[in-house]
Amino acid sequence: MKMLFAQAPAAKLDLAKKLLLLNWPFLALITAIVLVGVAALYSVAGGSFDPWASRQVMRYCFGLALLFAIAFSDIRWWLKGAYPLFLLALGLMVLVPFIGVESGGARRWLGVGEMSFQPSEMMKIALVLAIARYYQWLPPEKIWRPDALIPPLLMIGVPALLALLQPDLGTAALFAIIGAGMMFLAGVSWFYFGGAIVAVVVALPYAWEMLHDYQKQRVLTFFDPHTDPLGSGYHILQSKIAIGSGGLSGKGFMNGTQAQLNFLPEKHTDFIFTMFSEEMGFVGAMILLALYLLALVFITFMALRCRSMFAKLVAGGMGLTLFAYVFINVAMVTGLMPVVGVPLPLVSYGGTSMLTMMIGFGFVLNAHVNRRVTFRQSELGGLW
Amino acid sequence: MRRPKALHYGAKKKPDYARKQSYRFSRRALLVGGAQVGLFGLLGWRLHQLQIREASDYRLLSDENRLMIQLSAPSRGSIRDRTGAMLAEDKENLRLLVVPAFCKSLPDTLDRLSRIVTISRATRDRVMRAAARQSGYYPVLVAEGLTWRQFALLNVLAPQIPGLQTDRSAFRRYHHARPMAHLVGYVGMAGKEEVDLDPVMRLPGFRAGRAGVEKTFDEQLRGTPGTQQYEVDARGRVVRELGSTPSTPGKDLVLSIDHHLQAVAQERLKEHRVASVVVLDVETGAILALASTPTFDPNDVVFKVDPKAWSRIARDRDQPLQNRAIRGQYPPGSTFKVVTALAGLHAGVIDTRETMRCPGVYTMGRARFRCWKAHGGGIDIHEALKQSCDVYFYETAKRMGINHLASVSRHLGLGRVYDCGLPEQKEGIIPDVAWKRARFMQPWYGGETVIAGIGQGFVSSTPLQLAVMTARVATGRAVLPKLVLTPDDPKPDWPELELDPKHLEIVRKGMFGVVNEPRGTARRSALKIPGVTMAGKTGTSQVVNAHNEHKLSAYERETHALFIGYAPFDNPRYAAACCVEHGGGGSSAAAPIVKDVMTEALLNDSARAPVFAGLSRDEVANQVAVVGDGG
Repeated sequence: MKMLFAQAPAAKLDLAKKLLLLNWPFLALITAIVLVGVAALYSVAGGSFDPWASRQVMRYCFGLALLFAIAFSDIRWWLKGAYPLFLLALGLMVLVPFIGVESGGARRWLGVGEMSFQPSEMMKIALVLAIARYYQWLPPEKIWRPDALIPPLLMIGVPALLALLQPDLGTAALFAIIGAGMMFLAGVSWFYFGGAIVAVVVALPYAWEMLHDYQKQRVLTFFDPHTDPLGSGYHILQSKIAIGSGGLSGKGFMNGTQAQLNFLPEKHTDFIFTMFSEEMGFVGAMILLALYLLALVFITFMALRCRSMFAKLVAGGMGLTLFAYVFINVAMVTGLMPVVGVPLPLVSYGGTSMLTMMIGFGFVLNAHVNRRVTFRQSELGGLW
Repeated sequence: MRRPKALHYGAKKKPDYARKQSYRFSRRALLVGGAQVGLFGLLGWRLHQLQIREASDYRLLSDENRLMIQLSAPSRGSIRDRTGAMLAEDKENLRLLVVPAFCKSLPDTLDRLSRIVTISRATRDRVMRAAARQSGYYPVLVAEGLTWRQFALLNVLAPQIPGLQTDRSAFRRYHHARPMAHLVGYVGMAGKEEVDLDPVMRLPGFRAGRAGVEKTFDEQLRGTPGTQQYEVDARGRVVRELGSTPSTPGKDLVLSIDHHLQAVAQERLKEHRVASVVVLDVETGAILALASTPTFDPNDVVFKVDPKAWSRIARDRDQPLQNRAIRGQYPPGSTFKVVTALAGLHAGVIDTRETMRCPGVYTMGRARFRCWKAHGGGIDIHEALKQSCDVYFYETAKRMGINHLASVSRHLGLGRVYDCGLPEQKEGIIPDVAWKRARFMQPWYGGETVIAGIGQGFVSSTPLQLAVMTARVATGRAVLPKLVLTPDDPKPDWPELELDPKHLEIVRKGMFGVVNEPRGTARRSALKIPGVTMAGKTGTSQVVNAHNEHKLSAYERETHALFIGYAPFDNPRYAAACCVEHGGGGSSAAAPIVKDVMTEALLNDSARAPVFAGLSRDEVANQVAVVGDGG
């Protein structure tokens, strides 16, 4: 009985079956978060669906279509496609310094006709898939070996280095967090992580030298925002004033004076959480954070229920991405971290981050739908 | 097939690494999840700290001590013509706004305001609707274009009427608007990309040059914004000013244009659907007039813009926004024979003694090229220019080859754009063997040289280029056009052309014949001023060819009419070029326009009119008052 079960080839799932297997409550949770964002954007625009809220809804609908397409696709395609996709994203990131569009002192965008997109966003997805693919292939008994660390470290290091060159410190940090987290989940020994922490502490002074002036300035003003209240400390200070003045219950929808009187910078993108907590208060902010936490719990349990390491790690990796985004953004606007320019997923205005998150959730649901699928060694081939 | 051995009970058991890894994943996932919960707890603690424990501090900061930084837009530099007449200036726009959130009752406030400013029913509705729709902290515009009296009164009353706000912005006013539209251009709100580059552009009332001189000299005209720092109270009212840096107004510009001549030229073009004319001062290169029809009124596109009117202008079939004098590229037709003649003389393939016979057609191999008329025998270079004989120039071009013709054309200023402050000039085409290979990857054919000799085929030029070419032929110097006058401009000393002055004299005489001798093609357009004569050359360039014949309407098939000329013949001062799109013959449509505009320039002596740029700022102010009364 046991043998039969282990050997049974995974039955091809038809669409009806997949629809049943899909995690619908999770989808409802995502939608709830997006709706909070739409309401916030409506308020930021001074009580108008234009120019942000309406477009955000359109982007969500487009993202939802992509999410379904990915969730119902065959997981084997992605297993096979993980490395090519990673290489494609890497190639595009290499191209950015040469043919990229410059905006605000940094080159991060590739223009395709009227559209433009950031290859580093694509890389966030591709990185998760590639690392998951690697540990699916790696025989579990070899996981402790030092040479088994080299491929995943390269997969993380090269894109992170390219992001640093753009220069985009936030994205580079994100790659490192996601990659290290996935290696931890896959079962890499504790000793390596201890060693890495020591190495980082040693390397920190050298890394500081490599930072751009504006990045150094951001870090410095983070430690003491009051030195330069009109310069780069302005954002943090105004953001803290806005959040703090919201109090327990907030100033009320569309009545945040800090936001509405234009004290806040980028209040519809990176600082939307500030505006939201000013108007909705501590209660509103905690509810929004609780929604995110619930989503993370959902993702973790979906990862636990998957049978194959690939599916486990894809779900786990996407969960790490969501967590890193939310944590960095909220820590940034509340003055716990320097300003690095990371949006609040699903809530901040912006097509690229919305699509990245929806595609990421598509993969989580894909892993969930295919939770009973296992792969034979012959399906994996070699390292490639 | 998988080996069942590993699963046998009792066999020597290999550790099940896969299962171990799966368990380890579960352990670590829960660990990571726990860490995430912990870190979210940290965020919650931070929010608690900010919003509960320190809330009162921050509320104080938010309510009572708000720092407001406002940027103040600089006033944009003005643009004047050579006589000091104002062409573009910033006018102050005094506005009245209300902030609904600060009003006790919006209808009451509006009632009180209506005693000072007239507030129509429609305005009232608009304000009420805007206040209901958007956040109460957004100021709503009630009235603009207030008088000083109203503005002062409102400022006095401001403390008693909560929610009242006044501000001073500016709008751009254009004078002599329609004739100057293409040259001066217009301003507009900054686009998204410009705002990204320079956040100052986000300032309300800040405008960037969109076309013409306003665009080229945008940076000089713009000035730099100042800042004002205020402390404001919970109602958004200024408690005190903390400091300010004043804005620096943009620099003023003086153009070489004569607005009177420009207006005459524009008026003269009016009878045609699409046409343009350029007048240059051949000594300094100053552009005295550069008119293009159809035109538009830039005042319609910069202040209180009516979208319908704008789209009518932008979508018009004849494209009024296009400056034909620098962007219209036409085959120069017979006006190009001046160049061919000079190039032929320079190459030594023709001389004054040689005569040719014109049977009305020229054959080369199997190809036949027609002349517009059978001129008969005895055509020398003078007669060929005067009567515009195509056969003579077919032969000349064939003898010297295309590359020589092209290099002399470029030496005369064709096929390039000039750095004179006019944006988006077209280059035109002066073809040669290398050009054709690069453009079409094809070899050059002999027949193409032949038609290039009469300014057809690939050859194309803008009216401004033709005017520069004319000025160079008239003076024998490498004149370049100039549009902006600066104080203490040295009199330009253009280098001599590398052409034999004798050859230039031969061509000039031929151009004299065109206008003043019997059988000259533009004899009817001779000047009527006693003692002053004009030299010129007509051109009638063909538009239809074998490829496009069936696609064109009757209007589009008509030939372009061109004329180039300079005057006075014996001591050149003005050069002009005119092109009437699909206007028919050069002698009937274009030459009379140049004759009239030239007459006006000569009688008024536009080039010698007092030049404004030499004056100091105070003198400028006096002069403006005088000129302003007249204009």
